[in-house]
Amino acid sequence: MENKNPLTPHIQIYRWHISSLVSISHRITGIINILAITFICAWVSFLVLGEVNYDIINLFLNSFVGKFIAIGLLWSFSFQILSEIRHLALDMGYGFELQTTRITGLVVILGSVVLTILIYFIGRNFI
Amino acid sequence: MVQINLPKNSEVIKGKYYQDKTGSKNIRKVNVYRWDPSTEENPRLDTYEVDMDNCPSKVLDILNKIKNEIDPTLAYRRSCAHGVCGSCAMNMGGKNGLACTTPHAEIDGDIDIYPLPHLKVKRDLIGDLDGLYKQYQSIEPWLKNNSTKDTNEIFQSKEERAKLDGAYECIMCACCSTSCPSYWWNGDKYLGPAVLLQAYRWIIDSRDEERKARLKKVADELKLYRCHTILNCTSACPKGLNPAKAIAEIKKMIAVANV
Repeated sequence: MENKNPLTPHIQIYRWHISSLVSISHRITGIINILAITFICAWVSFLVLGEVNYDIINLFLNSFVGKFIAIGLLWSFSFQILSEIRHLALDMGYGFELQTTRITGLVVILGSVVLTILIYFIGRNFI
Repeated sequence: MVQINLPKNSEVIKGKYYQDKTGSKNIRKVNVYRWDPSTEENPRLDTYEVDMDNCPSKVLDILNKIKNEIDPTLAYRRSCAHGVCGSCAMNMGGKNGLACTTPHAEIDGDIDIYPLPHLKVKRDLIGDLDGLYKQYQSIEPWLKNNSTKDTNEIFQSKEERAKLDGAYECIMCACCSTSCPSYWWNGDKYLGPAVLLQAYRWIIDSRDEERKARLKKVADELKLYRCHTILNCTSACPKGLNPAKAIAEIKKMIAVANV
């Protein structure tokens, strides 16, 4: 017989903590990155069709919205890289102590912001 | 499947308000999840004003106080009151734990008390753990050793025994499994941290001879690999154990065991 009793609340009441936050962000940034890579590939493909296409996208990326997206993607890639390193360590069996997971989680979150700023300024100065 | 919203019949509505009758100046509001199986009504959140001057330090003491002095209809599981039996596992202040070992001073603001998350409720704070017990049975949590006679002692070195530390202490309170989002979404197939910690406990037991068969049994996309190291389990465990690490160790063993 199917149990028709109510389901107790779950995600509605469960408190977030650093490692669950990093875990869900890892997934979200993963999806964003796949879309972003597709977008970048399309952009590169357009170059084959001539200079005009480059200018259009270049213009877009230098607009306010474009910059917002570009910096957002920088963060998304930075986060994914750092979080992936954390996951690799976890897969090897390291860093499971509660205090360590909190510290590595914080490093990922803060590190992604630092990395975003670094890449942005390095990129700006070289290009 | 991922289902963020609760089904229609599970949405929590506002419940009754029990005003303090003791005239105490030290009052805390305690919100408790209530559901009565004899009615067709939705679950509700009742609020009790509790006199904290005459209340011992743990959340279970609050529940006992409510049941004894304010509302005897409240239902919850409890037994040993010393963090050994695992009966009073519930969600307090947004985190799973044992009511008998969780100090209410650690919870800021109003104290919210819910049953363990994502279970079918039986009544009030009592969730249905049948599914978890069936999964526990499925890993065959007993010693399998055919080469030794039943009457003979099976020796184990101190080092081999030490491997069981951190695994055998589990009291099966289900705090970890019901804190795990993967278990919420795939609890019918994914074994969950509590059961996998026990699977690990038998896999690494030097006296057990079915190591390979046990590994083979859990080496499954859904049973084991739904663990995405969210680590809610480790932070929820009231005994300070580390189910997430045990799951990672099983994954490592499978990676090199050729099963």
